[in-house]
Amino acid sequence: MSAPTATPPQRPAGRKPRQLSGRPGLYTSYAQHLRLLNTRPKLVAVGAILLLAFAMPWLAQDRTLSLLALACAASIGAIGLNIVTGYAGQVSLGHAFFLAIGAYTAAVLSGDTDGRTIGFGVTNVVIWLLAAGLVAGLFGVLVAPLATRLRGLYLAIVTLGLVFIGEHVFKEWRDLTGGAGVGRPGPVPELFGVNLASSGDVFTSDQKLYLLMLVCLVVFGVLARNLARSKVGRAFAAIRDRDIAASVIGVNLTRYKVVAFAVSSFYAGVAGALVYTITGFIEPTSFNLLLSVQYIAMVLIGGVATISGSIMGAFFITLLPALTRESPTILPFISSDASAPLNVFQVETVLYGLLIIGFLIFEPRGLFGIWTRIRNYWKAWPFSY
Amino acid sequence: MKELISSTLAGLGQGSIYALLALGFVIIYKSMRVISFAQPALMLAGAVLVSYLVGPFGFILAVILGVVGIALLGLGLERTVIRPMVGKPVFVVAIITLGIDIALRVVINGFIGTDVRQVGDPWGFSRVSFLGVTVQERYIAMFLTTAVVITILFAFFKYTRLGLATRAASFDQETALAQGISVSTVFAMAWAIAGGLAAIAGTFVATGVGVDQQLWIIALKALPAIILGGLDSLGGAVVGGLTIGVVESLVATYQSDFAPWLGDNFSVVSPYVVMLLVLLVKPYGLFGTKEVERV
Amino acid sequence: MAKWQHRRTAFTAALFAVALVATACRGGGDTGGGGGEGEVALGTGVTQEACPDTPNQDNGCIYLGIISDLTSGPFAALAVPITDAQKAFWERVNENGGIQAGDQAFDVDVTSYVKDNKYNPEVHRQVYQEIEGEVLGLAQTLGSPTTAAIINDLKQNNVVSAPASWTSAWEFEDVILESGTNYCFESMNSVDYAVEEFGAESVMAVHYPGDYGEDAAGGAEVAAEAQGLDFTAIETGQGPENQAGAIKAVVSQKPDLVIVTTGPTDAAAIVGESAAKGFEGKFIGTSPTWNPALLKSPAADAFKALYLQSGPWGPFGADTPGHEAMREALGDVEPSDGYTAGWAWSYPMKAALEAAAENGDLTREGLLEAVTSLTTVDYEGMLPEDAGNYADEPNEAVFRQSVMSEVDEDAPTGVSVARDLYTGPSAEGYEFTEPCF
Repeated sequence: MSAPTATPPQRPAGRKPRQLSGRPGLYTSYAQHLRLLNTRPKLVAVGAILLLAFAMPWLAQDRTLSLLALACAASIGAIGLNIVTGYAGQVSLGHAFFLAIGAYTAAVLSGDTDGRTIGFGVTNVVIWLLAAGLVAGLFGVLVAPLATRLRGLYLAIVTLGLVFIGEHVFKEWRDLTGGAGVGRPGPVPELFGVNLASSGDVFTSDQKLYLLMLVCLVVFGVLARNLARSKVGRAFAAIRDRDIAASVIGVNLTRYKVVAFAVSSFYAGVAGALVYTITGFIEPTSFNLLLSVQYIAMVLIGGVATISGSIMGAFFITLLPALTRESPTILPFISSDASAPLNVFQVETVLYGLLIIGFLIFEPRGLFGIWTRIRNYWKAWPFSY
Repeated sequence: MKELISSTLAGLGQGSIYALLALGFVIIYKSMRVISFAQPALMLAGAVLVSYLVGPFGFILAVILGVVGIALLGLGLERTVIRPMVGKPVFVVAIITLGIDIALRVVINGFIGTDVRQVGDPWGFSRVSFLGVTVQERYIAMFLTTAVVITILFAFFKYTRLGLATRAASFDQETALAQGISVSTVFAMAWAIAGGLAAIAGTFVATGVGVDQQLWIIALKALPAIILGGLDSLGGAVVGGLTIGVVESLVATYQSDFAPWLGDNFSVVSPYVVMLLVLLVKPYGLFGTKEVERV
Repeated sequence: MAKWQHRRTAFTAALFAVALVATACRGGGDTGGGGGEGEVALGTGVTQEACPDTPNQDNGCIYLGIISDLTSGPFAALAVPITDAQKAFWERVNENGGIQAGDQAFDVDVTSYVKDNKYNPEVHRQVYQEIEGEVLGLAQTLGSPTTAAIINDLKQNNVVSAPASWTSAWEFEDVILESGTNYCFESMNSVDYAVEEFGAESVMAVHYPGDYGEDAAGGAEVAAEAQGLDFTAIETGQGPENQAGAIKAVVSQKPDLVIVTTGPTDAAAIVGESAAKGFEGKFIGTSPTWNPALLKSPAADAFKALYLQSGPWGPFGADTPGHEAMREALGDVEPSDGYTAGWAWSYPMKAALEAAAENGDLTREGLLEAVTSLTTVDYEGMLPEDAGNYADEPNEAVFRQSVMSEVDEDAPTGVSVARDLYTGPSAEGYEFTEPCF
């Protein structure tokens, strides 16, 4: 993958960027501008968030941890989609397909050798996680030629076709998937001889899985951030903004679109493997249009072409159903009787739809946009209006 | 041979449903460059509304009232939810329409309840034979109704002032605005027409078998149809819809004999395979406008 | 503009607040009562305090969860009546004094922890984890793939659960309290019935993919083999527009009997169109295949002429004390066999709770122990007592009888019993060592 090989931007040797007192947000050099954590407040904030995130296993309940772990895994998928859609501008509704490829690759590699479905018993997380990413990435490369011919909504719907055809294959290939309505067990996560999916004496399974997901998210998040600020990332942005202009200034369109799809699919594969490790069970009809759309919603709600936005969006979409399920406690006057004309379960689902609508009408730039606005408000405080 | 013809005719009937739905997608796309994922919900709403109206009003009147009702629903959605989004990125709007779809369908499901509702169509499963070829009456009715609806629609776009305004607005919004065309009227009308078409399609889907909560999935088959025909071509939508219907019907009839290795129910995904194959040759569909690329 | 911005900031702040509330502090999972007061040991999901909104304020409370497909999934039309019937069932139990444990009594609450799974295994697992620490067991876990997604958690935590699905796989799980026969044996009986009544010589199974359809097709194949009949299986997808292949197969191969395991609208397409094309064999469907509204559809005549309906117990209008009690408890509702199923599925849970209470051990372990020594369940005549055998090996414990009903416009759910609980020779002789699909 090209992510780790990203070349750091040129940096004048020996010159440390100065910090002006009282102006924490000021860049004093180009190198500082491009740095990963380019201002002190950002450094402090990221550090604090990371600290809190790693402290979570001792703060939150297991079911909360399980949800957070799911959100972390989904974040990786959202970052992947943001690479191809946000950074490179190629809207893909086929993300569910790549998630499925990753999930099944991991499940097959780590699966029980004597089970109903294919399995090879390689339970080491590192091995199946990389394999899941690579196989999915390979499929991304195969799909990429379509993307060099199509743009916009055409590309979106064609990638949607991928989801439908994939769903058909997954339903029919019983040895691999168990078949529709039957399914197969998810990947078995084992690291240094410890099965992360079963509770031990020190940690419960949810704590271990959460930590695994968090570490993966940090690693893949940093890699993606690095990719975005490298030569490749700038090529992506050029293609997104105007592909013909990009090719005129010497960006190889085919090559970079293939790279974008490959990296994005790699991330999707990894995310698929991780998500279904937490769920513990894969049912082939899960990989449908709705799943793809959820990821698109994560990117749009989080913020297009931002890594932190992808993460926020993934957390929002993953936690939203859990929040709307709490609606009965907030709205006790609604009937909890499933046969009543307007009951809490309907309100839950409607609320899910309405929140997505409301959010996008309200702030089309997404959570990242809101964050930017808050930051700017306080930057100029008390003279902010 | 007889089987081939009757299978093709059934496919044309089913294809007319896809054509109606595809037209709805294309009309909205042409006016605001957005794919509305709310069409499935509108289709379901149409079928359910007709199933309620058919008792007091009879089938024909129920369908007409249903079309008007869902057109108004489409209009209302456009006014309240889509209007604030004009000029926002198209994918944001597309996801919003999807949110509408989720929310709306839950409400409609409440009206369907546990039963399979009937739209009370006069055809049922009765069949006619002609020269030894038998075909269900409802497929003929679907095809003929669709032909009439499409003729009216095309005449509307070609000969009326509002139709002209629509075409102008879809060609260039700003210029149309400068010429005094009310683009907002055009948007509203696009949603109303799409709603009305979805209602007819929904009613036809429900003929014979009835309406249950899963009916909406059929509307997604219009997606390969519009890509096949070209996203911005009304004629393409019709051709695409009919093609998808026929392909699906033929695959369902013959695939188990000729290509069983494709797996059971390959007909369900055959529209997408056709779509992919066509796009490899013609990236903007059969009749889509090729994008003029300028730097 | 400034005001607008304030509002936006307030909105964001509200979002964060909600997020914070959701992150409750890590506490012990066991919220059960101390268990020191009475002689009865109380575990997770059982309290000395009375249930909310119960008339029996002196009773303790047993909380059971329900995870069902309540809004947008494919089985919502069936799941809502199932859930309602279960609520009515337990309300009746509470009105009769609840579960007796020595000098103490416990009401059963199935309304506090009702969750919607949208028929999605991931959602199912999420909502299960949300209520896991609050309930003793599950009064309902709907669907096979969904339940399969939590079966390991159920086993790990000894959470006894009543399923809402009839697959043969549940026979092999201790924590699952299945009722009535499964699709596999039901189809065997259907084939045997057709051989006896119509002299059927060829069988076709038209079925959905997955546990529901394939379990039934598996059973039909077993019976066809045992009876020496021709057998073909046609898998079909969901959606009436996708039935053309199945219809063609039925019409061209002309089997004497078609076992249909689909949903109602798809069955309407298959039965209606096949009949219109001149097919004259018989169709036998299962409970989820049938919906009384089909009698108002254009396919009604075809159904009346060709269709029979198998089921694990008598339909809504059947004449047993259990059915009678159910109709009385539900009051004035639109008849649906979802109610019948929800009601019947609740009896073994009641028997298990009673047994556990008698043993003085209302913990999860105690309940599971009670289940594994349960050999009979009082179904109030809906099923014979030995249908509730959870102690023996699957091959002995499995209940092999099913009911055959015929279309009857005057019956509440459009079908009335043609042959009450019976076991055909194929089902009788089948060695049941693994799930049928």
